[in-house]
Amino acid sequence: MRALKLLIAAMLVMVLSGCWDNIDINHRVLPVVMGVSKHDGNYLIYLQIPEQVQNSTQIKIVKGTGSTINHAVDLISANLEDRVDLLHIKVIVLDKKYAEEGLEDTISDFMRGRDVSPKTLVTICDEDMDAFFSSVRKKMGPKGTTLYDFFEKNAGWNPQIALTRVWEVYRSIHSYTRDVAIPIIRSGDTTVVQHVGSAVIKEGRMVSQISSEETLLFNAFQRESTQGKIEVMNHASVLVIGNSLAVHTRMDGGNPVLRSKLKLKVVIMETKDHPTSDMIMKELNESLTHQFNQMFAKLQESEADILGIGQYFRRQIPRSELKEWRTTFYPKLKLELQVQTIIENTGFLELK
Amino acid sequence: MDSLIQEIKDSLGNNDDFFLQQYTIGEARLLLMGFISLIDLTKSKEALYDNMHNWKLEANTVTSMMDAAGEVIDLDLEKAIMLLMDGKLILFFERECRFVVAEPVPSLLNRAIESPTNENVLQGAISSFIEDIDTNLGMVRKQVVSRHIKVKNLLAGSSHKKKLSVIYDDSKADIKLVTKMIKQLESSSDHEINNLQHVTRALGLSAWSSVPKFNTTELPAEAAAALGKGRVILFVDRMPFALILPNLIWDMFTLENDRNFPLPLMISIRVLRVIGVLTTLIAPGLYVALVAVNPEVLRIELALTIAQSREGVPYPAIVEMIFMLIILELIIEASTRLPKSIGPTITMVGGIILGQAVVTAKLVSNLLIIILAATTISNSTVVGFQNSLAIRLFKYVIVIMSAMYGVLGLLAGLVLICAYFSSLNTFGISYLNINMKKGEARNG
Repeated sequence: MRALKLLIAAMLVMVLSGCWDNIDINHRVLPVVMGVSKHDGNYLIYLQIPEQVQNSTQIKIVKGTGSTINHAVDLISANLEDRVDLLHIKVIVLDKKYAEEGLEDTISDFMRGRDVSPKTLVTICDEDMDAFFSSVRKKMGPKGTTLYDFFEKNAGWNPQIALTRVWEVYRSIHSYTRDVAIPIIRSGDTTVVQHVGSAVIKEGRMVSQISSEETLLFNAFQRESTQGKIEVMNHASVLVIGNSLAVHTRMDGGNPVLRSKLKLKVVIMETKDHPTSDMIMKELNESLTHQFNQMFAKLQESEADILGIGQYFRRQIPRSELKEWRTTFYPKLKLELQVQTIIENTGFLELK
Repeated sequence: MDSLIQEIKDSLGNNDDFFLQQYTIGEARLLLMGFISLIDLTKSKEALYDNMHNWKLEANTVTSMMDAAGEVIDLDLEKAIMLLMDGKLILFFERECRFVVAEPVPSLLNRAIESPTNENVLQGAISSFIEDIDTNLGMVRKQVVSRHIKVKNLLAGSSHKKKLSVIYDDSKADIKLVTKMIKQLESSSDHEINNLQHVTRALGLSAWSSVPKFNTTELPAEAAAALGKGRVILFVDRMPFALILPNLIWDMFTLENDRNFPLPLMISIRVLRVIGVLTTLIAPGLYVALVAVNPEVLRIELALTIAQSREGVPYPAIVEMIFMLIILELIIEASTRLPKSIGPTITMVGGIILGQAVVTAKLVSNLLIIILAATTISNSTVVGFQNSLAIRLFKYVIVIMSAMYGVLGLLAGLVLICAYFSSLNTFGISYLNINMKKGEARNG
């Protein structure tokens, strides 16, 4: 009797598993990059598919249109010999015009559908998608993952590049107090891609743009490690080897005030005209503070809280008023940034 | 008494190796009985004669002769046959009508003590057990010189008698376990014992357990270490190894011989064995899970390489895997069956030619061959051949689960195997019991 029960259970495992739907890896198409653009209410989907052909990788760009993203992917899948498997998508490239219209639908679809991993990086393309992909295809090396490597922390990522994932954009759409910055790229003259800056996204819509240098400060403010960055000033260039941020918040009669202290540990790389280390420190502090204030003014104007400052005030502002953070409190926010630089190492340069 | 001789002659006389001959020493007239195949008769007679000679000086009587020759006993037919079968020489003093059971010079039917054939020893004692139970007992006695070592001899089987010996250290072993075992063996003394399945049944354990109930070893040093850990050793006559009871999971990874190395090296060797077992269990399943069900877990570079290596392979991953695994099992099985001189041929044909051809013929992917090689090699790191067989079987559970449910199935398979392990017990001691010191058995 027991044996019979076991047998039945084992057979049920076979019957109920649905394992006949599994498709082997060589029958799946594994696109690495997905481009999304919108024309006349229809989605235009680009898939960049690396294909191994006799020990080298070739890149195939496949295009499809449809009234929804899924529809478009489905059409592509139907026309390809293998099934399209979106799980390996590492980078999603969005058309800038489309990003300005609002990404809410697309991002929600990605989150809901689970075909695309929520960890996927989001970028915005600053030129025509057709031109971008054809240029990428021409210039991309034999690895086929160039676009992905560009954002990979242990490969081509630089601290001037914002890293934003699908789930973070989704969070920005639904959060009262936090927005995101999405890197903007375009095809480069000599390189595959060129980093232009970052798009400021407010509730899923691109509202403004910041430059690469500003993105570096943004990353430092996010406590993202900015190691390896060379800061060029009039007198010297330094290598930032560590950064930390201390934040103090208070409400000043309905006006939020944020005092923050950004500590940078730097190593001096190059000097011009024999500056002293005090000079370098002072210059660095001033220029960074200035740059940051400029960026912050721009952000305040666009009412997009990409620095996530609202997060610090969640304790001080009641929930009912919190939804007005972007419109009421954020423009009134007073931010006092103090940059403190520590020169850890002057290298072999003799400084006074 | 002559009637008894007649009876013995009737029941054993049709054996051509049975002898019954007359012999005279001094005044005594004897009948010698025994099996020529078990007794070296010439030497035995010589010994008998020498023995008589020694005694002649002091008391030249037949009675003293009888005492000198062996044990004077009253016999019945049953007992006489038992003794003869056991290789004893029976003397019948015709005038006195008395039977004497003498210990003759046995003919040599045992091999000499050699190095082990199924186990390898690095830097350690290399003598191994032989078929003779008394020699084996002696080797254990020699290994552990302690008054705590107790030996209990038992006889099993109704028509085929088989000697069993239970050895334990009465200061370390759980006496309740020992008495339970001995009682069980005594109560099933009518079972024939010719192989380990019979032993399992005689001990009242389930014969359907895939994990062996006893840890077998050929090495006296291992057996002695087991005694020191409170285990019980069972010897079966004509079996050249010790059965260590109970078998616990940690025995799969440890050898006493490891302790001949410095501690850090010992720990690394054991960790290596654990890794080996895990690799054997997981690697084939992981391949199937990653290739067929969850390729998103792979990094994209690896995914592309695997996809390319599988380009043109006609079967799904599970079929590919089972196909190659079975061929591999066939190779292993074939190489154990073949004589040692032809063995290497199989290795070459199987390993090199088949492996290369199967890839070239695009029946399986390159990666699969790597996985299989890793699996087979790591399978051999397990201590004890019987354990490696069990592990070899369990990997199929994981392969099938992985083919259906991917990485989740792999985990489920591991959980299933762990659950199975924890369900096993021997005389109330769980298989997963890590340390079997005295008194811990009841917690298991």
